[in-house]
Amino acid sequence: MAAAGSPSATLRRRDLRSRGIRLAGKMRSDVIDLLDAYMEQQGLDASVSVAAVEGVPAAAAEHWDEQTGTQRLLENLAAYRTFRALLAQMLEEQREQLGEADAALGRALAAVLLQVSAFIYHLEELLRLESRSPPSEEGTGPPLAPHLSLFERKLRGLGVLRELAQWAVRSVRDLRQLAKASPGSSSAPSPAESP
Amino acid sequence: DSHIQYEQVGADVTMKCGSMDWDTAVTWTANGTDIDESHLNGSYLILKNVNLTQSGQYSCYESSSWHLKYQTYLRVGTPPKEPLLMCRSNNYPKGFYCSWHLPTPTYIPNSFNISVMHGTREMVCEKDIFPKNRCHIRYLQLFSTVKYKVTLTVTNALGKNSTTLTFDEFAIVKPDPPESVVAKPVPSNPRRLEVSWQNPSSWPDPESFPLKFFLRYRPLILDQWQHVELSDGTSHTITDAYAGKEYIIQVAAKDNDIGTWSDWSVAVHATPWTEEPKHLTTEAQVTETTSASTSSFIPPPTTKICDKGVVVRSGAVAVCWTAGLVLAAYGVFFI
Repeated sequence: MAAAGSPSATLRRRDLRSRGIRLAGKMRSDVIDLLDAYMEQQGLDASVSVAAVEGVPAAAAEHWDEQTGTQRLLENLAAYRTFRALLAQMLEEQREQLGEADAALGRALAAVLLQVSAFIYHLEELLRLESRSPPSEEGTGPPLAPHLSLFERKLRGLGVLRELAQWAVRSVRDLRQLAKASPGSSSAPSPAESP
Repeated sequence: DSHIQYEQVGADVTMKCGSMDWDTAVTWTANGTDIDESHLNGSYLILKNVNLTQSGQYSCYESSSWHLKYQTYLRVGTPPKEPLLMCRSNNYPKGFYCSWHLPTPTYIPNSFNISVMHGTREMVCEKDIFPKNRCHIRYLQLFSTVKYKVTLTVTNALGKNSTTLTFDEFAIVKPDPPESVVAKPVPSNPRRLEVSWQNPSSWPDPESFPLKFFLRYRPLILDQWQHVELSDGTSHTITDAYAGKEYIIQVAAKDNDIGTWSDWSVAVHATPWTEEPKHLTTEAQVTETTSASTSSFIPPPTTKICDKGVVVRSGAVAVCWTAGLVLAAYGVFFI
């Protein structure tokens, strides 16, 4: 493993950030398409308002501009790991609910799940380059699925996708902030970051 | 005693002369001019179906003493119609502003009250000193899916009205147009124009929140615009301009990920480079012998792509062999 401040680490970091930005951008666009298809298939109206859903990581952040690079990576990682589990759950429910009736939606869900996994990889690698081991996933298993009615599950799914779309935008910004904080080199905190 | 009295257009107004009895002889004036007795009912002044021109100072004098007994300032107006409200973030992610106005004037003073809710949280909208009908809010949270709800209430002495706007954080993001747009010809390139611009100064952090741009251009003589979308950089070279034609060029901006396009920038004009005519006769002959496939491409009479020793004479004009190839290539291009 290259030392955190070495030129190869810098290049790798830059590469991971720019690919991560592109991936997050693609993810957002695919999630928005998926949202449209999901709402149509589930018979939901675009004006449906979903209150904050328990267990779904909210993208909303206060004092976002004051976060350190490491905080950004850790928050993103925790969120996307949760989304990975939530999407897997949705995929299973989808298959149970409809069987093969709407394979296209299932495929779209699976594609987004794959992108989320790829993004998690990017985040974990960036953390390693910050000389931080990504936190283990023990104890952060799939969120306990409370017993929900079919309608409640539909709304929950809507909440998951909406929040994921929001996270995708935030992640692009987070990665750009990382680039700003350490444009060339190491994981040394920028002046804006708290020691 | 002096009062202000607000009345609606079309209303019938009765003014009493203070505490004077109905049968006291009085004289009423409007802005110093005596009012005809036909408008009086005893000592009361009756104004039927008032209009805006009847706004002014009304005074009542006891006729015998010519003492001023009552004075009022009549303001004729209307209750407010539903106000027009808009909210926009041109300085994302710092905050957003809301501005409002009435579709028609009321002719009397109005007061505005604005409330901004983010979910259940009430936010402070700080009023701008100028313009008066505007206030701004600082974002406390970013990337929230919770919608904002802005309610504007306008009140005056004759009534009130309100309007509500609901939106999410991303939807109202609209940068100001790009600034300092400059378009220049490119020396020795009759079909090129170099355009450059700057990010709008109101956009606080273009590094973390980069903008993308949309350029449109057309020759003044045509109505149809050409469009180019640019995902980075603040310059672009147009390579398909018609030689010698003046162009009008504008640029718009948008956050790379969210929101809507800005308005178009101020238009700039530019004409691609053309060779300075050296000899009028030479110029005319060059124009005649140029390929007829396009009338707008005029090759320079001397060209730097000539090989010194290879010249083919064509009529009275010396055209280099290599230049001839170039001309032929352009001719094919325009067919």
